Amino acid sequence: MAPQKPTTGEARTASPAAGGRQVWRRLLARRAARTAGLVIVLLTLIAVAAPLLSALEGQDPTSYHNDLLDSAAGGVPTGTLGGVSAEHWLGVEPGTGRDVFSRLVHGAQISLLVAVGATFVQVTIGVLLGLAAALGSRLLDQLIGNTTEVMLALPSLVFAISLMAVVPSDFPRPLLLTLVIGLLGWAGTSRVVRAQTLSLRQLDYVAAARLGGASRWRIARRELLPSLAAPVITYAMVLLPTNVISEAGLSFLGVGVKPPTSSWGQMLSGATTWFRADPMYVLLPSALLFATVLAFTVLGDAVRTELDPRAASRLRVGTADDTAAGTTGPATERTAEEASA
Amino acid sequence: MSRTALPRTTLTPRRVAAATVTAALVVGLAACGPKADGGGSTGKDAAPQQGGTLTVLNQNPQDQFDPARLYTSGGGNVPSLVFRTLTTRNRADGAAGTKVVPDLATDTGTPSDDAKVWTFHLKDGLKFEDGSPITTADIKYGIERSFAPELSGGAPYLRDWLVGAADYQGPYKDGRTLDAIETPDEKTIVFHLNKPEGDFPYLATQTQFAPVPKAKDTGAKYQDHPVSSGPYQVVKNENDGTHIVLKRNPNWSTATDDQRKAYPDTIDVQSGLDPAVINQRLAAGTGADAAAVTTDTNLGPSELAQVKDDKALAARVGTGHFGYVNYLAFNPKVKPFDNPKVRQAVAYALNRTSVVNAAGGSSLAEAATTFLPNQETFGYTPYDPFPAGATGNPEKAKELLKEAGYPDGLTITLTHSSATGKGYGPDLATAVQDGLKASGITVQLEALDSTKYSSTVHTVGTEPGLFLSGWGADWPSGGPFLAPIFDGRQIVTDGYNFNSGLLNDPSVNDEIDRINRITDHAEAAKRWGALDKQIGDQALTVPLFHPVYKRLSGKDVRNIVISDWTGVLDISQVAVK
Repeated sequence: MAPQKPTTGEARTASPAAGGRQVWRRLLARRAARTAGLVIVLLTLIAVAAPLLSALEGQDPTSYHNDLLDSAAGGVPTGTLGGVSAEHWLGVEPGTGRDVFSRLVHGAQISLLVAVGATFVQVTIGVLLGLAAALGSRLLDQLIGNTTEVMLALPSLVFAISLMAVVPSDFPRPLLLTLVIGLLGWAGTSRVVRAQTLSLRQLDYVAAARLGGASRWRIARRELLPSLAAPVITYAMVLLPTNVISEAGLSFLGVGVKPPTSSWGQMLSGATTWFRADPMYVLLPSALLFATVLAFTVLGDAVRTELDPRAASRLRVGTADDTAAGTTGPATERTAEEASA
Repeated sequence: MSRTALPRTTLTPRRVAAATVTAALVVGLAACGPKADGGGSTGKDAAPQQGGTLTVLNQNPQDQFDPARLYTSGGGNVPSLVFRTLTTRNRADGAAGTKVVPDLATDTGTPSDDAKVWTFHLKDGLKFEDGSPITTADIKYGIERSFAPELSGGAPYLRDWLVGAADYQGPYKDGRTLDAIETPDEKTIVFHLNKPEGDFPYLATQTQFAPVPKAKDTGAKYQDHPVSSGPYQVVKNENDGTHIVLKRNPNWSTATDDQRKAYPDTIDVQSGLDPAVINQRLAAGTGADAAAVTTDTNLGPSELAQVKDDKALAARVGTGHFGYVNYLAFNPKVKPFDNPKVRQAVAYALNRTSVVNAAGGSSLAEAATTFLPNQETFGYTPYDPFPAGATGNPEKAKELLKEAGYPDGLTITLTHSSATGKGYGPDLATAVQDGLKASGITVQLEALDSTKYSSTVHTVGTEPGLFLSGWGADWPSGGPFLAPIFDGRQIVTDGYNFNSGLLNDPSVNDEIDRINRITDHAEAAKRWGALDKQIGDQALTVPLFHPVYKRLSGKDVRNIVISDWTGVLDISQVAVK
């Protein structure tokens, strides 16, 4: 989304960059957004360094430890808090004795990778189809419009479960999860982009470009996309936590990653029956999942407030601070930008 | 014994397993260990009294109540309160409960010398719920109608065993009767079999042997108002067996039935419940739940972990054994499992401790090295053809792999069901996978959708090289346990095939025939045990574990009996006062 260096006479492509920096500064000024961002950075680091962290602990996510289980009592971990010890920092899994810390950090890889990947797929398809619908022929618009309706009406969870079930099991599961979630969830983005494009192309600077002989592709790329960045980023930030949940949900239902690969959803699914006997085993993946979704949601909310103040004030009643930040800031900037065009 | 003629698609192995396992879950050691109860004079020590209402909390609705359609081991649970049969299972705790005893008949049958003709005589004074006498014609008619296509669901043994029954379509269409069953008088019934079957008295425990009065038969609708020959009659059956209420049958008498105790006046069966809910309600025991039991729900591993810390609750947990084995099945037609050394290497490499823990720990699973269940009645002969201890023997496995031409290890695929908690699921598969790692065997897991699992692994042609399987017998004898899995003449090429090793060894087949001629159960059991050992050496299967069932019952429930035949709390023995 970062546009090229400003060249002469192209002030409008420059302004989003300046706006981007300003948005960034204002985001950092918000404590909630800052904390959420920090949590996300931390989670990303954990995910990237998962093998390293496991090695540091001296464990791996798949090895069984039968000696740490009370076999006669259903295989519950011996010791306190689900078998927490110097060797197993967060205890072991009931029934298998696999290291919970290792499984959690490796699970973060799947969660984040799939969520980010799926969001990327959703946004890419959504933007391309939204632009095509807005700029193409009426027939194309209708075709894409109808397809979008169908996609929105589709019971995506049921559809995802059946898709995950029919694909041969040697297809890489994380990639499959990414594709299934991505391909089923682009409809919203496509609609937003189409609507936004329709209103943008009425504007004088687009008309000017058209009169200047610019091709449709050039208009889309140079005139429309930079202005679409704000709503698209906002929408993507809303999609991200939803996709984290979708991945966890599918894994919870047993159609996600293939065992013995760990994912938070799968851990939760195994943990549901253990919540009384071994609460730690349920709390840990739940807490991580909760923190991830909350962080993405808070950050997404803040980004939306900064980038799309009108939508934000419509959708939520913010604090005085939020409202103030919303009404000044980018709104005036956008006006300036539009005026300059 | 044979499951060769599985003509109905409804009779999947899961169904067999479900019927048998379902029959296999309950509690009841409370009768043996009442001290922890501390309930004083109202405790479980007091002699059981008649009266009261027993509540049964179950997962699976009794959606079929026609004796012709029930696929049950030993007459089932709720149905056996309503239907009496020629013989029945001995209503006693533990191993004594695996015996077959007379029910409507005076004895467990008189065989001819070659065990091909079986004669039974009825007791005096047997009556239906309406007071009319029970005759052998009613029993013959009950068996005949079980051949009708519209009343399918029963076990296939009668069709395989009775002379001329292969194409019989029941009495409804053309009024034809089965000549293989003779009723020379009202008290005598004679069965003619096309091969010797020493286990016939066990088959006669199935509900197909319950009397059905021809005048009251309404075909497919008979299950709405089945005519009772047992201590209770059905007074309410709502929503396809989700809620069933049984009341006393005034024409039943302990004078002719020494097996069923029938203490409660009313039995209220509520089904369609979640297993966690059932166990929670039984543990809490408020209101009617204090006098409640379950016949199809066992305690899961996590529930067992909770019970551990609660002495009063632990006293209400009973243990049930049921003849079942979970095993790894090889298809020797698929490389590299055509090489016996590879199969043996897998057997040596297996870590049974991991497997047992994945199955719920040592209280819910006993490590198995024999295919036959570890009970005397099956002919259990302890042996381990590939002794590798509790956690496997990687050195021996590597050595065998080297001899087999895989000095650098081997990658194999293990097929499992996608459903968790069913004994063929991912939990067990990953435990096997992890166990084989140390021996240089890399296991790739292939999950099949649970709805397709049985049909895929039990069909010649689609059968994978290595998969998780399980087997339970329809009655506690070695025959129905070994024959369907290892008898070469039971390889089915156009339907469900359970002989997954495709073993067709004349010495095994002949020995099965020879044992079937033996009518002395103990003598036959010995021979089944020896046969099991002989087959085990071929490493066509790797036995994993024999499941054990833990069941909870309500705090006011007394006289709890769990036989090793079903592994289930016997409702006919329970008292609530």
